[in-house]
Amino acid sequence: MARRLSLQLTGRPLPVPSRARFLPYLLLLPSLVLAAGVIFWPVGDLLEIATNDVNRFGQLRGFNDFANFKALVADPNFTAALIRTVVWTVAVVGGTILISVPVALILNEDFYGRDVARVIVMLPWAVSLTMTAIVWRWALNGESGMLNSALRGLGLIDTNIQWLATADLAFPVQIGIGILVTIPFTTTIFLGGLSSIPPDLYEASALEGAGPWQQFRHITLPLLKPFLNIAMVLNTIYVFNSFPIIWVMTQGGPANSTDILVTHLYKLGFRIGKLGEASAVSVVTLAILLVFTIVYVRLAMREEAR
Amino acid sequence: MSRKWKRTLVAWVLLAPLMVLILFPFAVMTITALKPQAEVLNPTWWPSELRFRNLVEMWDATNFGQALLNSLYASGLATVGAILMSIPAAYAMSRFRFAGRGLVRQFLLVSQMLSPIVLVVGLFRLMASLGLVESVSAVGLVYMAFNIAFTVWMLQSYFDTVPKDLEEAAWMEGAGRFETLRRVFLPLVTPAIAVTAIFTFINAWNEFVIALTLLRRQESYTLPIQVFSLVAGRYTVEWHHVMGATLVATLPVAILFAWLQRYLVRGLALGAVK
Amino acid sequence: MTKTALFKLGLAAGLSLVAVAAAQAGTVRVTVAEYSAKTGPYFEEAAKSFEAANPGTDIEIEVVPWDVLLQKLTTDIAGGSNADLSIIGTRWLLDFVSQEVAEPLDAYITDEFKGRFIDTFLSPSVMDGKTYGLPIAASARAMYYNKALFEQAGIAEPPKTWDELKTSAEKISGLGGEVYGFGLQGKEIETDVYFYYGMWSYGAEILGADGTSGLDDPGAIEAAKLYKGLIDAKATQPGVTSYSREDVQNLFKQGKVGMMITAPFLSNQIKEEAPDLKYGVTAIPAGPSGDRGTYGVTDSIIMFKNSQVKDEAWKFMDYLFTTEMRSKFTEGEGFLPVNKEVAASDYFVNNADLKEFTALLPDARFAPVISGWEEIAQITSDALQKIYLGEGDLEATLKDAAAKADAILKQ
Repeated sequence: MARRLSLQLTGRPLPVPSRARFLPYLLLLPSLVLAAGVIFWPVGDLLEIATNDVNRFGQLRGFNDFANFKALVADPNFTAALIRTVVWTVAVVGGTILISVPVALILNEDFYGRDVARVIVMLPWAVSLTMTAIVWRWALNGESGMLNSALRGLGLIDTNIQWLATADLAFPVQIGIGILVTIPFTTTIFLGGLSSIPPDLYEASALEGAGPWQQFRHITLPLLKPFLNIAMVLNTIYVFNSFPIIWVMTQGGPANSTDILVTHLYKLGFRIGKLGEASAVSVVTLAILLVFTIVYVRLAMREEAR
Repeated sequence: MSRKWKRTLVAWVLLAPLMVLILFPFAVMTITALKPQAEVLNPTWWPSELRFRNLVEMWDATNFGQALLNSLYASGLATVGAILMSIPAAYAMSRFRFAGRGLVRQFLLVSQMLSPIVLVVGLFRLMASLGLVESVSAVGLVYMAFNIAFTVWMLQSYFDTVPKDLEEAAWMEGAGRFETLRRVFLPLVTPAIAVTAIFTFINAWNEFVIALTLLRRQESYTLPIQVFSLVAGRYTVEWHHVMGATLVATLPVAILFAWLQRYLVRGLALGAVK
Repeated sequence: MTKTALFKLGLAAGLSLVAVAAAQAGTVRVTVAEYSAKTGPYFEEAAKSFEAANPGTDIEIEVVPWDVLLQKLTTDIAGGSNADLSIIGTRWLLDFVSQEVAEPLDAYITDEFKGRFIDTFLSPSVMDGKTYGLPIAASARAMYYNKALFEQAGIAEPPKTWDELKTSAEKISGLGGEVYGFGLQGKEIETDVYFYYGMWSYGAEILGADGTSGLDDPGAIEAAKLYKGLIDAKATQPGVTSYSREDVQNLFKQGKVGMMITAPFLSNQIKEEAPDLKYGVTAIPAGPSGDRGTYGVTDSIIMFKNSQVKDEAWKFMDYLFTTEMRSKFTEGEGFLPVNKEVAASDYFVNNADLKEFTALLPDARFAPVISGWEEIAQITSDALQKIYLGEGDLEATLKDAAAKADAILKQ
C-alpha cells in the first residue's frame, strides 16, 4: 500500500529498487552501442573530410581553413537549394499532416470495407521510394506517359502536358508525390494514437452533450498531440533528407531548379567529385536538423510540462 | 444497420480521391508489366492482350529470385534485431527514472536525424575498414542501427500509454519483475510491437542508398537496387520488365500489410489498452 | 588509435555471423558497367571460359549500373576496396592517373597486342606517353531519320545542313497529329553533347585554341540560337527539358519524331523493339562553312595500381581483347569495333547503318582530357536547359557558363 502511494506522489516512473540501479543502463546498452557504432562513427569521418582539402577519392590533404564551407556560401545554387529544401519540407510535411488526420479519423470509424481501405491507404508504403519515383517518371512522360493518356481519355485535357519540363510544374508534382508516399506512415501513427484513446471518454462527453467537433477539439486532438509531435519531427527529418523522388524524376533539373540539399550534395560529391564540399553540405544539413529538433523538443516539453 | 451503411458511404466517398491517386501508379505498373513489348511505348490503357508470360521472362532476365531472397534476409535481420534490442531499451525509458534519461532520449533523436545519404561516404569507409563491403548481413545490420532510434521511440510512446496499475497489481501478488514483464506487460504491448516491426521491415525493405553503396555484385543486390539497375544509365530500358519487377516486389509487402492489418485491428479492438 | 582498433575489434567480433569475403590469391575482381541487359551475361560467360582455360584463377564480375559507376568507384577507392580491373569512362581517366590510382599498362602491351587496335580509339587513353586504359567500348554519333515521315512530308533527301534540317523539321511538325520534326534531348546525361553537334558545325570547339571554354564563341551562340529557334518554331518535341536521351530514342522508335542524333546502339534496339520502323542513318548536318563534328566516346578498362594480382588481371584483359570476344561484345551491345579484325568481319562490313558512323570518324571529337570535365559538362547542361526554357538572355547565359568553365579550367 505504501508503495502504491509513493508511486502516485512521485509521478510516472516506477521506483527503482537499489539492486537494480544499473538495470536500465544494461537494458539500453545494446541499442546505444549499435547506434553509436554504425551511425556516429561516420559523422566523425564526415567532419574530418568537411574541414580538409580532399581529392575526389577521399584522400585528405590537410586542414583547409573552412574553404569548403566558404565555397558553399558563395555558390548561389547552394542557397537556392537550401531555400527550396525548406519549401519542400514544409509543403510535404504540412500537406501530409493535413490529409492524414482526417484520413486516420475516417479509418478509425467502423464501416464496411474498412480493412480494405486501410490496406489501400498503406499501399504506397509497400513500394520503395525509388520504384515509386521510377513509375511516376514513366507515367508522367509528356508524349508516351500514361497520365496524359488517361486525362485525354477522360476528356480533361486536349494537348499533352509536359509535367517535368519546367520547375513550375515539376516541383509541385514532386511535392504531391512526396505527400502521397508520406501519408501511409503518418496515418498509421495516428491510427495507433487514436486507438489509445479510451472510448469511455467519448461516451462521457456525449452524455454531457458534446458534438463531434467539440469531441475532436477537446478529446481527440489533445490526446493525439504526442503522436502529432512524433509525426511532425520524424517526417521533417525524413522529408528533409528525402532523395529518390527528386533524383529519379528530374535529377534536380532543369537547370538546378528542383534541387534540394541532398540532391545538390549527391551531385557535388559523386558527379563532380568535390567530396569536401559535399561533406560540408552534409554537416550543414545535420546542423539545421539538429537545431530544428532541439527547438521542437524544447517547445514540446514545455507544453507537456504545462 | 442502416447507420453503418450511411457511414460506409460517407467514408468511401471521402476517401475516393486519395484512393484514385494511390492506385494510379499501381495501375500503370500492372498494365505496363503485362503489355506485349511492341506496345510498351504506346501509352494505351488497353493493351491488345495481357501477357503474363512477361512476368516469367522478367524473373529470369532480372535475376529477381536472388534479389528477393537478399531483400527478405536483410529486412528480416534488421527487424528482428531492432525489435529485440529496443524492447528492453524502450522498457527502461518508459519505466525507470535514472540519471541520463534525457540524454539518451536526445541521443536517439539525433541518431534519427542522420540519414544514410548524408553519411554515405563515412559509412562506406567504416564498412570497408571492417571488410564488410558486399555483405548482405552488414547491410541488415546497418538498417538495424538506423531503425533503432525509431523503434525505441515508438515502443516507448506505446509503453507510456500502458497504465502501471496492472504491473503493480502483479507485483503486489509477489511476481518478480521479469515474470511481470512476460506475463502482464508483453501481452499488452504485442500490437504495438507488431506495428513497430512493420515500420522497421518496410524501412529496410525499401532502403536504397546504403544498399547501393555497400552492395556491388548482382548476387548480393536487394530488390530496389536490382530494379534501379534496370533503368540507371542503360542504353535501353525494358520498361515492361521494370514495371513487372516493381509489381512483384510490391506483392510480398502488400500481403504482409493485409495480414498484419487484421492482427493489428484485432489487437486494438480488444481494448486491452485502457 | 588503440581505442579505435579496440572498437573495431569489438564490432568485428560482434559480427562473427558475417562472412568476410577474403581476397584469396588468384582472384581477379572486375567492375564492369552495365550497358544493357546483355552486359552482365557476356562478362559472366567470359569469366567462365577464361577460368576453364586458366585453372587457379578466379574471376569475379561486379556489374554496376552506369549512372552510379563513378560514385561506386569513388567510394571504393576512398575505402581502399576497389577491384583489380574496372571499366571507366575514358573522360574520367585523367583524375585516375593524376591521383595515381591507375596502373600504366605499357609493361604488358606487346606490339602484337597494340596492333589489334584501331589507333583512333586507343589514343584517348594514352597520357604522357603511357597507356593507362584499353578501349572496351566505342561509339560515335550520327543522325537517324524516319523514312515514312520524310515521305509523308514530301522530303526527298535527309538534310545535309542545319538550315535544311530546320526546313525539314518544320515540315514534319506541320504534319500534325503529334509528330515532331527534330528530337532534341534536354535532360540528364549528354544534354551538353547534343548541343555540341550544332556547336561544332558552326565552328566552335569545347575548348578554344587558347585553352579556354568555347561556349561564348560566336559559333556556340549561333548554334544555341539555332536550337532555340527550332524549339520556338515547334520543330522539336514539346517540353525538351523533360526528355533524356532514352526518352527521345523512345519517341523515335514510336515514329513520333522525324530525326534524332544518337549512337549506333539505337539500330539494335529498333531491330528488337520496332522492327517495322523504316529509318535511315545519315551524317550529322553541316554548318554554313561545311564544318561538322560527331562525338566519339570510348570507355576504357583500367588496372588499379593497388592490385595484388596484376599478372592474372592482365591475362584476363588480354583475353577480353581477342577478336572472338571483341566481336561478340561489340555486336551484342551495338558499339563500333575498336579492333581491326573485328572491323573487317562480315557483320561490320555489310552493315549499312554502321558505315555511316565509321564514315564520320575523321570528324570525331572526343571529350577533352581535362580534370573537372564532369563539372564543366554539368555547367553546360544547366546553361542549355535555361536557354531551352527561354529563361534569361541567351548570350549572357552562355557567357556566364563560359566564365564558370574557365574558372575550373584555371585550377
